[in-house]
Amino acid sequence: MSAKWWAAVAAVGLVAVAGCGGSGDDAAADGTITLTVKTFSQFGYDELYKQYESTHPGIKIKEDNIAKLVDYTPKLQQWLTAGSGAGDVVALEEGILVKLMAKPDQFANLLDQGAGSLKGNFLEWKWNQALTTDGKKLVGLGTDIGAQGMCYRTDLFAKAGLPTDREQVGALWPTWDQYLATGKKFAGANTGASFFDTSGSIYQNILMQQGDTTYFDRSNNLIVDSNPGVRKAWDQTVSMVDAGLSGKLQMWSPAWNAGFKQGTFATIPCPAWMLGIIKDQAGPENAGKWDVARVPGEGAVRGGSFLAVPTQSKHQKEAAELVKFLTSPEGQTAAFKAKNNFPSAPQALDDPAVAGAVNEYFNNAPVGKIFAKSAKELKPVYLGPENQQVGEAVGDALTAVEQGKLKPDEAWSKAVADAQRAAGK
Amino acid sequence: MTTDAPARPARTAPTPGGARTRPGWWNRFDLHGSPYLFIAPFFVLFAAFGLFPLGYTAWVSLRSWDLTGDAGFVGFANYSRLFGDPDFWNAVVNTLGLLVLATVPQLLLALIVAALLNRPLRALLVFRLGVLAPIVTSVAAVAIVFGQLYGRDTGLVNGALGLIGISPIDWQAGKLSSWVAVSSMVNWRWTGYNALIYLAAMQAISRDLYEAAQIDGAGPIRQFRNITVPLIRPALIFTVVMSVIGGMQLFTEPLLFGQGDVSGGSLRQFQTIAMYMFEQSFQNFDYGYGSAVAWMIFLLTVVVGVVNLLISRRLRGGAQ
Amino acid sequence: MKQRNTLVYLTLLVSLVLSIFPLYWLFVVATRSNDVIGQFPPPLAPGGNLGDNIQRLFGPEAEEAHFARGLLNSAIASICVTVSVVFFSSLAGFAFAKLRFRGRNALLISVLATMMVPVQMGIVPLYMVMVKLGWQNHLQAIIVPFLVSAFGVFLMRQYAERAVPDELIEAARLDGCSTFGLFVRVVSPALRPGAAVLGLFTFMGTWNEFLWPLAVMEADNPTVQFSLSQLATQYYTDYTLMFTGTLIATVPLLLVFILFGRQLISGIMDGAVRS
Repeated sequence: MSAKWWAAVAAVGLVAVAGCGGSGDDAAADGTITLTVKTFSQFGYDELYKQYESTHPGIKIKEDNIAKLVDYTPKLQQWLTAGSGAGDVVALEEGILVKLMAKPDQFANLLDQGAGSLKGNFLEWKWNQALTTDGKKLVGLGTDIGAQGMCYRTDLFAKAGLPTDREQVGALWPTWDQYLATGKKFAGANTGASFFDTSGSIYQNILMQQGDTTYFDRSNNLIVDSNPGVRKAWDQTVSMVDAGLSGKLQMWSPAWNAGFKQGTFATIPCPAWMLGIIKDQAGPENAGKWDVARVPGEGAVRGGSFLAVPTQSKHQKEAAELVKFLTSPEGQTAAFKAKNNFPSAPQALDDPAVAGAVNEYFNNAPVGKIFAKSAKELKPVYLGPENQQVGEAVGDALTAVEQGKLKPDEAWSKAVADAQRAAGK
Repeated sequence: MTTDAPARPARTAPTPGGARTRPGWWNRFDLHGSPYLFIAPFFVLFAAFGLFPLGYTAWVSLRSWDLTGDAGFVGFANYSRLFGDPDFWNAVVNTLGLLVLATVPQLLLALIVAALLNRPLRALLVFRLGVLAPIVTSVAAVAIVFGQLYGRDTGLVNGALGLIGISPIDWQAGKLSSWVAVSSMVNWRWTGYNALIYLAAMQAISRDLYEAAQIDGAGPIRQFRNITVPLIRPALIFTVVMSVIGGMQLFTEPLLFGQGDVSGGSLRQFQTIAMYMFEQSFQNFDYGYGSAVAWMIFLLTVVVGVVNLLISRRLRGGAQ
Repeated sequence: MKQRNTLVYLTLLVSLVLSIFPLYWLFVVATRSNDVIGQFPPPLAPGGNLGDNIQRLFGPEAEEAHFARGLLNSAIASICVTVSVVFFSSLAGFAFAKLRFRGRNALLISVLATMMVPVQMGIVPLYMVMVKLGWQNHLQAIIVPFLVSAFGVFLMRQYAERAVPDELIEAARLDGCSTFGLFVRVVSPALRPGAAVLGLFTFMGTWNEFLWPLAVMEADNPTVQFSLSQLATQYYTDYTLMFTGTLIATVPLLLVFILFGRQLISGIMDGAVRS
């Protein structure tokens, strides 16, 4: 290696560094405002952005999407800590919003931006989730909700001698006890498939139907071991695991994905957006084999998101207007059409585009009707700021039971102890 | 160029002759000052981009800080909470266990592979490039492939075990099985990497030494033990130190093995400390506590590193 | 002798198969269609869909993954970082190994200590530095903080210790070399194999880095691993697309590997480090 060589190397390096640039200016000379929207997963807003830009000259919209929620949450933490980077509109998943509600200083009060009159555009509990307990600050507006159905394989049901018509299937399980009984019948038929994929989502569904609180009361006291609803959901799930109904698959794992195609499980609680996933995973050769019926019990909701305006935005007023537009009943209907995100606006639920929606892949199931019923029956549930951590502690304990690593009683004590630690700190 | 030049006089004496016409101060600077210039770029850039994060993390670790922001100074409360936190100690045990399972076989294998590759063989280039190929594989590829290998129902490993009559193992569920699986991922990915370092070091050894040894009648194993190993000792120490540092910060492989679950299994059976830090900081948004965990990782790494260095010093002392 | 050679070849052959198989499997899936997933046992022969899959990867279907942009960004960043790390690490490694100066050991230990800081923790504060500099979503954010590496300094120091004979340095000094001249003319040729290894590792490390680019860049200006992750979720039911992306992301590394590897492996034994 000679001096010349090093000189060349240094030159390349310098040129490369100097040439390494990008552009990210949001302050344009002509007065155009660029609003940056931060989202995760799929919100289905592309058409809405175009529509909004055409009716609002001078506004440009840029969406920064991070595919996975687990990658998005560290970025959110980093934006809020650094006081920069969060853009003008941020999507907040329910679990994150609930955490923020204790001290939502970093977000603009949408009541100051005239959002107060929009209360009727949202299911009441969805509205209240983003409202501080004193009712003075609204942190975000709701987008979608995870209204639930129960998806099932018609071919496996037929093999097990069970009805396959969705009305009759729904009639098999008005309650979770009857779901368990159906599962036992299914297991007795030895089809080679398990009755459901994993106990975690079954438990979550039962839990959300057990009254208006789960792990925390409204003063944020941990009531995991004193709330009979939690114990009931736990016991019911454990009895299903004991009956050998669980496929013990981890959600999103390759084996779980492949299960839709191979028919390794017969039922799965499915939020509206999961229909698209089932369709993609099971593939065209299984068209008509999957169908969707009502979920046992009365209504259930998992997840769902909000849009909020961070105070670090330089265009809070414009951003709030955009949020109002995107979360309006029309906006929610459009998002449903684009990506099956089920609306949280009662008007959208009644919109023919939603209420009348059928899904061809699922034997033309009237999915709009099925999910809307589950959404409207739902009673609001209070979660509390540490809900997610406590939920994970209980969920992990349940998985340990499923894997045969802990006895149910040991697992319950562990869940309670872990929950107390997570909440206490 | 040759190395068998006769010993030269000490260089402090000014050399007579025309070669050195530069002033004395320049020579002094060149001898005593230029080393600092040589290492300055590292320290300058490190000060700019490394020091602040380090100090900032220390500062945050003394505060209560969550997603909603800074909630004030709490002294060493985060650290004292750590000592009573069973999940933290569980993660420490997992990390150390995985460190042993992943480092020892890996370095031994790498040494063997490097020794085999450092000989005249047919199709040498193919073998060398082939065996070292895992180092080009991205984390994503590792995740995909090993996810399939260790699948419970359709995985190739369970399929192979089935052939010899062992019933399928749920690799993620058990502590030992998950450790074996995770450490095999680490071993697969990094063995070639270390072998390459050893190989480069082995190639810097003079052939004459081996020839001389051969004349003295030493076989290949004795040559390996008496010439190769002592002479690549700097490389050995380097890989041991790096493996320990890497092992203490093990994060990606167990995370991917658990399909992205930072809690490392239902009973945290393969959660490492780095995963625990990530879970606390970015999933539970307890940034203050997570920063305290980060500092503990740092301190533990220093302790384990020093112990390691002492052991290898002692081994060296014993060998010679 | 013959038997032993057979054993050597056999051992190497087994390691070869174990090492190569995942890469081969990557290639197989990338050349097939989505039917391959869920088949057991999996098919082992390549199919004929590679061209189609590549077209889909760069076509409008996977537009949101910005794959071409990711490749370009990663190439620029990896080259910048590699050149700089190799140069500065050789300088510092040589100084630590062969030059005598006050505070040498303490400084070397501090280099080592910087490696022990867990990387995941630096993200938030480093991001704050980037905000101050206005570098978010700019390419220099994934380059400048990595222009030097403690790993590199340590590796080159360990390498130089053995590879640069003291006699060589003495001789050059007597010939009137300045320290830098010494470095250029005498030391760097001897460091070449080590520098090649370091260059290889640095390039691959930068290319495969995920956490920091994800933190500081945005999806429309990603690195290649960031693109892959976007691909993996938005099209997660499309395994062949993911595999094709992973394959394409691995090819540049293979090229670098073969180039550097060749240099490393062939010319060296009878080349620079003849003593």
